[in-house]
Amino acid sequence: MNYSMVKSLIFKDWYFQRQAILLSLAGGALSLGIVVFGGQAGFTIGLILLVTVMVMLSAMTVLGNTLGERENQTLAFAMSLPISYLEYTTSKILGNLLIFVPFWLALVAGSLALIVATPVIHGFFAFTIIMAVEILVSTCLMIAVALVTESKGWAISAMVTGNVALNVVGYLVAQIPGIKDGMFGTAIYWNPTATILLAIEFALILLLLGIAFFIQSRKKDFI
Amino acid sequence: MSDFSVQFEGVSKRYTHFSLENIHLELPTGSIMGFIGANGAGKSTTIRILMGLVHQDTGTVRVLGHSMPGDQAAAKLDIGFVSEDMRLYGAATLKWHMDFMRPIYPRWDQTYAEELARRFDLKPQQKIKGLSHGQRVKSALLLALARRPRLLVLDEPTTGLDPVARMEVLSELMAVLADEDRTILFSSHNTLDVEQISDQITFIDRGRIIDSDDKEVFLDRWRRLRLVLPPDGVVPRLPGVVEVGGSGRLPVLTTNRFEPAMVSACNDLGATVQAVDTMTLEEIFVANVHSRRERLTA
Repeated sequence: MNYSMVKSLIFKDWYFQRQAILLSLAGGALSLGIVVFGGQAGFTIGLILLVTVMVMLSAMTVLGNTLGERENQTLAFAMSLPISYLEYTTSKILGNLLIFVPFWLALVAGSLALIVATPVIHGFFAFTIIMAVEILVSTCLMIAVALVTESKGWAISAMVTGNVALNVVGYLVAQIPGIKDGMFGTAIYWNPTATILLAIEFALILLLLGIAFFIQSRKKDFI
Repeated sequence: MSDFSVQFEGVSKRYTHFSLENIHLELPTGSIMGFIGANGAGKSTTIRILMGLVHQDTGTVRVLGHSMPGDQAAAKLDIGFVSEDMRLYGAATLKWHMDFMRPIYPRWDQTYAEELARRFDLKPQQKIKGLSHGQRVKSALLLALARRPRLLVLDEPTTGLDPVARMEVLSELMAVLADEDRTILFSSHNTLDVEQISDQITFIDRGRIIDSDDKEVFLDRWRRLRLVLPPDGVVPRLPGVVEVGGSGRLPVLTTNRFEPAMVSACNDLGATVQAVDTMTLEEIFVANVHSRRERLTA
């Protein structure tokens, strides 16, 4: 693996997505501000905005970095560089994740800090972490589908599926006794159920990215 | 070290509506090969296989000593590639592209890059999306040349260029030829461009290589013989005749194995040779394609 080339490609993608990243950071900060200072209504609105900003960032980076390369016919240029297609795939997966994850981590940390600082919502701690990782799963689903299908239609379908799944998973997780029981309490809690759910989500992330690598390695036509 | 920069042996690639069949192609190091074919003949597919962007179903491909597509990353370090459908990043400037590529290619020549920018009248600070088509092609060519590649692969680079831009691009390519170690594969359906810069010619039609040789050999061996037959005379049977045109007593024979002795042979057979016309590469290409297609349908 030529890591130096992978790094160059990731920096290239960051350079072209810098406006989306800055916009999302501003949007994220604004959402957290609403959560903190917006009172009861602001808390809900701010959280919805926060999730929206995260979904928007993942959509913009995946559509811009991965599908935009083909749509703008710059893929031939990228692939004329001394890289293999697996290195290109690695750069796209890492590039998208490295744009999304720091932003995601910052917002998740902000949300958790807010929960910790507000005793009345301490019970949301485990639920928030599980749902935050679910957003990461949705992003990985979109990255994998965009890379494998190279189709905007499929990538948008994956995004919609991820968003629908987010609501469904949120509803289902909130019904699981191990999560539900402490959710509206005033104590921060973590239990084996939360650990199992988190492990399933990370396994799903690895599976999605593994499948993307596997299919990409078997592709025969790249342009 | 192989004397060939590019070697295709029995390469095939099948799609639903098109197939590349049994391609054998050898590009000697230091030569400039014109790769000529009509639209959809298989030029771009062949070049994509060469670049490792499309994997062949069967056969072997070696480029600069590397097996493709497996060693494509190492091979592409020494290849400059420009294709008609290749675009640079519109939101970035030419300078950004130069800065991006400089650390990637050990032989990147910044002085040469800047000199090319002046010669092509390109402003490095200008964003790519603000450039004309001609300027974009020149920018891509600049980026391909400044890395000082051992192999330059140009897939229809002059398509869509105005005559001035086309001439500038071709002039620069001719200047590049001063470096005898550099090998160039130049694909085009414009035979005039190919004729100007190539020393080897390969014709491809409907996914098959139909002829490949030195340009001078092509130009020497292809001729049109304008004959006048005596009343009730028949068209003489000559070697390498691929096409018989004209009419009645004034047939026009196109041969790909012309020798001066053919003239006296015609006279001996009762036909008078009115003229022996040389052929342009375009005429040779068209006659070659027609004769092959006729053979296939016969």
